[in-house]
Formats: sequence, C-alpha cells, structure tokens
Amino acid sequence: MRIFNKKDGGIVQLIDKEKMQEWPVELPLIFIEYIREKQIEKYEDAKVKKEISNYLNEILKDVAIPRLISVLEGDNNEETISALQRIEELSKKNIEMTKPIRPYLNNLLKHRNKTIVKLAQNISNNFTKADRKKELAKKRKIMQEKEKDFLAGKISGEEYARTRKEYLTLKE
Amino acid sequence: MAKKQSKRNWDFKAAKDLFYEYLEKRQEKKKINLPPETIQIDNLNRKEALNRLYDLTDSVIEKIYASGRPTIQLPSRTSTNIIWDEENDLLLLGKQLQEKQFHSLSSVADITRLMRVLEAVNELLVKDLHATKREIFYSDVKLFGEQKNSDKSIEDIATMLYTTRNSTHIVASAKGSCIGRLRIRDKSDIIDLEGLGSGGWTISPMLDNIEILESDAEFILVVEKDAAMIRLAEARFWRKYPCIILTAKGAADIATRMFLKHLSKDLKLPVFSLVDSDPYGHYIHSVYLRGSKRLSYESPFLATPNIKLLGVLTRDLDKYKIPKEGRLPMTKMDIKRTKELLNEDFVKKNKAWHDDLNLALKLKVKAEIQVLSSHGFEFLTDQYLPEKLTTGDWI
Repeated sequence: MRIFNKKDGGIVQLIDKEKMQEWPVELPLIFIEYIREKQIEKYEDAKVKKEISNYLNEILKDVAIPRLISVLEGDNNEETISALQRIEELSKKNIEMTKPIRPYLNNLLKHRNKTIVKLAQNISNNFTKADRKKELAKKRKIMQEKEKDFLAGKISGEEYARTRKEYLTLKE
Repeated sequence: MAKKQSKRNWDFKAAKDLFYEYLEKRQEKKKINLPPETIQIDNLNRKEALNRLYDLTDSVIEKIYASGRPTIQLPSRTSTNIIWDEENDLLLLGKQLQEKQFHSLSSVADITRLMRVLEAVNELLVKDLHATKREIFYSDVKLFGEQKNSDKSIEDIATMLYTTRNSTHIVASAKGSCIGRLRIRDKSDIIDLEGLGSGGWTISPMLDNIEILESDAEFILVVEKDAAMIRLAEARFWRKYPCIILTAKGAADIATRMFLKHLSKDLKLPVFSLVDSDPYGHYIHSVYLRGSKRLSYESPFLATPNIKLLGVLTRDLDKYKIPKEGRLPMTKMDIKRTKELLNEDFVKKNKAWHDDLNLALKLKVKAEIQVLSSHGFEFLTDQYLPEKLTTGDWI
C-alpha cells in the first residue's frame, strides 16, 4: 500500500499502482474518480490531499491511460469491444471519468468492425450531449444574470431578448 | 457513570503508540520462515491451482502405467502431526504423510470421493466459479452419503495439492460482517464500508475477488458478538476513532479469519479483539491468533499472530465495577475448557493471559460483553473501549 502521513499522526493508505496492472481496463479510471469525488475531501489535511491528488495523476498517466490505449489500439476486437462496452456504461454514469479516451474515438469511428464503430459512436454522442449540457448551463447562468440586470433596469430589453433567444435556440 | 464520563476526550495513546510502532516496523519486510519439520502450503491463483491439479493427476496416471496400483500421498491431519511453531506463534502441519491406495477395498470409497471432489475442483477452476461445501455434497449425494464425508474429501484435496481450501474455489458460506474506514474492490465494484448502513458489508467467502483499495484507519477491532457490533455501528464508532470493525458473529469462520489476515497483512495495523469473558471467548481469540487445530495446514493464511486480547478480561469485572448479578457462575464445562486452555503452550507462554484465566478459575465467574451495558448502553463505546485503548490495558 502507498502511505500518506497526516499532520495529526494519522495515515491514509492507497493501493499500489502496480497492483492495478491486472485490473479490468476501465477500473483504474473508476478508482481515480472515486477517490477524487468521494474520499479526498474527507482527509482534512491539505498536504495529504495534494500528495494523493498527485498520486492519482500518476496512476492516470502510468496505468489508466496506457492500459486503455493498448486495448483500444490493439488488434483484439473482442477485447476492444468489451472495453468499449464498459466505457459506454461509464460515460452514461459519469462522462468525466471517460475523458482520457476521447482523443482515440476518431480512429475507432473509422474501424472496420461495425460493433466497435457503433460503440465509439454511442460514446461520442454521450460526449456531445455532455458538452451541450455544459454549454446550456453556462448560457442559463448568463441569461439569469441578464434577467436580473434587465429587471434592475441596467440593460435594455433588446439585449435581454438576444441572450434569452441564444439560450432557447441551444435548448431546442 | 457512562454519562458522566462520555464527554472526556480520549486520546487512544497506547493504541496510537502501537500504531506508530507498526508504522516503523513496516519498513523491515520480514519473511516468515516456517520450521523445517512442517509442510509448506501455498495460496494459489486459479492458474497455479489448475497446474498443481494437473501435476497430481499426471503422477497418478504415471503410477497406473508403471505398476497398475496407483496411490496418493497426502499430509496427515491427525493431532500428532500438528505442531505449534513458537517463533511465528502458529499451529502448523508436520511432515507425516498418509497413503491412500486405489486398489484397496478399505479405501476404495474414500478414493472415489476424493476423485469426485477433484473433478469438481477442476470444473470450478476451469469455469472460474466458486461452490460451497454444501453444494459439493449435493453434487453427488449418493456417493458422499453424509456431508462430513464430502467435507473430509475437500480438506484432503486441499492438503494433497498443498494449498488452501479457498484456492480450490470451494468456500464456506460466510457469516461475518465488516464496517468502518475501508474501501475495497469486489471484481469491478468499489465498496465503501462506511456507507452500507448499520449492518456493514457481509464478508464474501470469495476472497480471491476482494482487494483492499483505501483506508485511513489506525486500528482494527474484532468483536465476538453481533450485539457489540450493532452498538459500535449505531455509535458510528469509526467516525470518532478511525478504525475498521469486524465480527464473525460467534465462532471465527474461515472467511472472516482470512479477511482479517488480509486486512492485517495489507494495512499492517494493530488488531484488537473484544470477546466474552469466558473460555469460549478466549478460545475464539486464540483461533484468530494462531489458527485452529483442524485447519492447522492453513494457519499461515488464516491466523493473525499480532492480535491483542482487549477484553472482556476477568480482571475488568472488578476494575469496571461490574455488578455481581451480571457475572455468571462457571459451569463444569466452562471450568474444564478453562483448564484445557491453561494447558495450551501458547497460553502458558503468555503470563498475562495465563493469570487472567487463572483468576477466572479462582473466582469461577464469567461474563458476556453485554454486561458492560449495566453501566448504560453507551458505556462500551464512550468509556470501556476508549479507556482500554488509551491506557494499553490488553493482553
């Protein structure tokens, strides 16, 4: 186990990255995301949080991405399909976790195997949906601010209408 | 009493000191050297177990070709072949062998059962499946007759292959549970043992699928009784005092012992046990500590030699002013079992343990963990455990 010492004398132990070499290909990504989302805030020690965050980056760089790439760029279609199926499931649950594979989707969309193309397309669509959702949230925030400004008489009705139109167009 | 003291902020000094000692020790990677007069048992992965099984069947086939009278040799599991390894504090199996002959009328039923179990093990390993001992019995009721016969064959197969029973993918149904500051992996699922409600995680018998991912615990607490576990879970004890708590709900089953061993080996944390103050409680502690005689060949994979007996000690009954009516008189059987324990070498070598059992014998009293609730339901979590872990009052 990798040990991180806290100032109060306590420790946090995380599994060694070497042990992840035998894991299912998508699992290191899930692990990284899990520790980032659910655990890291609980450690209440800035130094430990930083060290763990660095260690997670190390896992991403040394294990998670190389393993994904080796499968996605490999010749074993069965293995690629199985990895893509798990990544597709993940992309539905938490698109952020699957970000590292995005640059490889273009090649997979041109693959000779139809199943691989279909799965790559589904994942790609999930990325597009997520991007749109993010963009929409951004526009909504801007529109709400403009609405406040408009009601306060700080901007013209025309300017507010333009922002609202942009938001509604994207929403549709 | 409990209410009055519940606001005290215990620092767990003694437990922390032990934790720091372990932290320093983890730098020295100590390999366990088993005594030369004992056999070496290995924990195998699926592929290794299959290879060993094929080697065994090859040797039987070779004997058929060579003499037409094949035999199988396996380590004897009789009490005369069980050795206490004082250095590593483990019960182990000696090198005495027994021979089973295929052509003898007296052993034909035994050999047929063995071969049937071997066939089942092969199927489980090839298909990467696990089966319980009960399922093995039901796979050929006519042949096994009673489950004790299939159970014996299962243990014979494990010793014949010089491996643990779990490595054969035959598992005992698990009854233990675990809760606290721990995150594990079961195949592709990440399980947070703090987020499973008061019941915690049911310890899986398929421990080859389990991997420890993360923990910020500082000690492990093993409790004999489910009732004590409920009390600790309800108090969310691990939130205030970073720890992992587990129970086998009575006698220590294989999966719980193996999981504890796994935790202790990977996390290298101090381990404490909380058992009833009676010979059965002390025996349960001893099984966690050094293994049982029946499964002595698996001791290195099941025993946790650094476990400390935190309580309930006989001396605690006066120290914590346990009311007389909460103390139970020892039965004849309790006295017999206590005397048997006092005769065990590993108890004789541990003065504090020997003294506490002698005190029990002198006073002829026993008590359950729950007797602590005579001082209030929160006495266990707010006073007894914190005080003992702060002062280092353990054996």
